[in-house]
Amino acid sequence: MKAAPLPEKSAADVDFPIERVEAEHVSRREFAKFLCLVSGGMAVGSGWVAVKEKLFPPFRFQGEFLVCKTSDVPVGGTHPFTVAGSKIPFILIHLNDGSWRAYEQKCTHLSCAVYYQPDNGKIECPCHHGYFDAHNGNVLQGPPPRPLPHLDVVVRGGEIYVSEPAHETLS
Amino acid sequence: MSHFREAQNQAHPGKTNTLTLGIICVLILILTMQIWLLTAALNTALEGNEGITWPAFAASVLLFLSGAALLRYLPDPLRRARRQSRSKQTL
Repeated sequence: MKAAPLPEKSAADVDFPIERVEAEHVSRREFAKFLCLVSGGMAVGSGWVAVKEKLFPPFRFQGEFLVCKTSDVPVGGTHPFTVAGSKIPFILIHLNDGSWRAYEQKCTHLSCAVYYQPDNGKIECPCHHGYFDAHNGNVLQGPPPRPLPHLDVVVRGGEIYVSEPAHETLS
Repeated sequence: MSHFREAQNQAHPGKTNTLTLGIICVLILILTMQIWLLTAALNTALEGNEGITWPAFAASVLLFLSGAALLRYLPDPLRRARRQSRSKQTL
């Protein structure tokens, strides 16, 4: 008896010989290779951080910068400003004890704008309720990983000047 | 020709399974250390301490290279079958 011939493959099977299930399947070998690829990405990211710090250091200004007059900011008040040549927002704070502080107005968590609360002497980030000490910029509570960057404040002749902190100024 | 490998495979049929899982675990460990290195380097760099960035980069590259070297030992049970079918096609 003659055996029946095998059915011929359809045109679709010839054009697309790989099954969808087979194509979507991720083997453990492929997963391990993918982990290694992500590992390479991490190494590149670390390199990017190192190169960026070397080639594009953060903005530093030289000398002193006039912000405003002392009479412009009452006790417990604030005055936002930017330094010439930079778009980084800063905030000048007149603390309740009469002293002055100047901090970068960007939260160190996700760069939300922070504001001063004169009632409790804290600087709050409203996005995730991070709190900073208005006297030194240290983190008191919440997700911010670092203190607020600050500037030195000098009051001279009824005017307020800011300068880069001594230990961070470029030589 | 020695049949050592064949006998070994028969004695430990789950060998490649264990090896694959072990390599994946080590790769995940390497990745975790690299993530920690990257975040630590970024945080210290943003604080103004740039001295840690280059050592962190070097350590990250070393970890990546060790992970890539581990891939060489990733079992491929179908490799022999693929080779045989390829040699048959060429004949």
